Amino acid sequence: MEFSPVHYIAVPLFAAFLIPLVGKVSKELVKLIPGLVLLYLSYGSIMLFPKGMENPIIEIIAGFKPPFGIALYYGATAAFLVTLVTLLGFVIWLYSYKFIIREPIEKYYMLFMLLITGATGIMLTGDIFNLFVFLEITAIASYSLTAFLRDKDSAEAAFKYLLIGSFSSAFFLLTVMILYTYTGTLNLADLASKADMIPANAKGFALLLVIVGMGIEAEIFPLNGWAPDAYSQAPSPIGAVFAGIVVKAAVYAFIRIIFLFFKTPEVLHFIVIIGLITLIIAEMAALRQHQIKRMLAFSSLGQMGLVILALGIGTTESTSAALFQMFNHAVIKAMLFFAAGYLVFHSGSKLIDSVTGLGYDKPITSFFFSLGALAIIGLPPFSGFWSKLNVLISIASEGEILIIVLILAASVVEAVYYLRIIGKLYTRKEIDSNPRRTPISGLLAMGILAIVIIVIGIYPDVLTQWLQPAAENLLNSEEYIQTGLF
Amino acid sequence: MLYYIGAISLILIGLYAVLVKKNLLKIVIGLAIVDSGLNLLFIAIGYVKNATAPIFSSESLTADKMVDPVPQSLVLTAIVIGLAVTAVALGLVIRLYDHHKTLDINKIRQLKW
Repeated sequence: MEFSPVHYIAVPLFAAFLIPLVGKVSKELVKLIPGLVLLYLSYGSIMLFPKGMENPIIEIIAGFKPPFGIALYYGATAAFLVTLVTLLGFVIWLYSYKFIIREPIEKYYMLFMLLITGATGIMLTGDIFNLFVFLEITAIASYSLTAFLRDKDSAEAAFKYLLIGSFSSAFFLLTVMILYTYTGTLNLADLASKADMIPANAKGFALLLVIVGMGIEAEIFPLNGWAPDAYSQAPSPIGAVFAGIVVKAAVYAFIRIIFLFFKTPEVLHFIVIIGLITLIIAEMAALRQHQIKRMLAFSSLGQMGLVILALGIGTTESTSAALFQMFNHAVIKAMLFFAAGYLVFHSGSKLIDSVTGLGYDKPITSFFFSLGALAIIGLPPFSGFWSKLNVLISIASEGEILIIVLILAASVVEAVYYLRIIGKLYTRKEIDSNPRRTPISGLLAMGILAIVIIVIGIYPDVLTQWLQPAAENLLNSEEYIQTGLF
Repeated sequence: MLYYIGAISLILIGLYAVLVKKNLLKIVIGLAIVDSGLNLLFIAIGYVKNATAPIFSSESLTADKMVDPVPQSLVLTAIVIGLAVTAVALGLVIRLYDHHKTLDINKIRQLKW
């Protein structure tokens, strides 16, 4: 059977239904199924990747040709992001294998599979209402996973997330309605070709709704109040999923809609500004945090602010730099969440101060954390260096010196709070050595990510050759319309 | 026009409940009302005066005598999604009540915004 883009959605969705049933028979099998599914999807991604990079693959569902039926659009951008999601998903599964020991395991993996379904669906779909459905699948799975640990704070964080998320979905549904009312179609490519039919005031209202609605999911300041709570109260691998997968899907959907319907210099300028504000506020907030995972969450918001800023610049260089930064953020932040998960587990406290001296007691986990921290600050020879450099170069070629200065200032703040933790890790202090060790699956997951960070850091060309077509696909609405409609 | 006003006022009533009420259950009810308002608005957009259901039940029924079927099918999906969100919300409310023994949102807030 040949691998087709439908499998990205169908296989994990089917697995999500299967897992609770299998859970009645064997718990071990429940743990294995998501791994097998993600292994299959990763294999398929690698097979399909070169084809998608060359020509967009349009998958027609149920025999209705676009614009009437739902079609999947596997273009260069989607190929890049979906491959990232499935490979990262596999590593996250590897980490979860020994980390999630608390019942109900089958619910954890079921929701995890639903998250993968939703995220890949958002990236692949070529239909705006379908996009709404996948956003909701992702959101509902995220709410439930935030509350997975059953304590006071996680229930509260999940409720907060749900409340804000509901607004986001209501606004997005309203956008879909407005676009449908004036164009009479739901297919993204068809909609984009008919965008002129929408009167200016309705378009302005739709743009406002998109920015508020999608801005909540894409974690743009000031709509990201839910994110630090959700990131820090969810189990650590789910923190990695939020940072590496969910927010990537949301930002992709946000920027795809903006580029297709609202691409004017004013809108792009506005996006640059909100990206910049998100970056600066989030980095300042991260500096003030006392809990390690909350700090990572704020740092994540800052990184996404940088991505949104670079996307808003709107040139091919800046867009490919933004995609590079998205890749790096997914990989590095996942590793930081993995390492932080075990640091919290070993020290028994979420506070930053409690990691003091762990660098000697738990050398490997601490090493991975430090490596991730140095990479995300953007030091050579790690991969984070190249993406930040590319972002800065692309902005410099537009001549926006003030933005560069502000980004560098934010980077200094970032460096301060990450180096502070590394300093604490390697401060000698008498602590009771505890016998708990980081299990091998966790170390393996972090090791894979560490290798990726170093290899991409030394040979960035491995990745950057693919960024150009992906960026062009994201920017070129004409091509999207033509290929999406036959 | 009347349909639009009705649907939009439902949305506004729901928003009022979510933003002003302090009881968790009332907030969840407010969310459900917003959902219903949105669904009705969508149905109203697809409505054609004096038209009937888009089913080819007789020869004389032509396309201009039918309401737009697309919003109806979308709303069906949206209703199911709204139900799922409400169910998750109620589950979380139960869990919050178990921990705090209150439904007042002011007494629950521990995490900073």
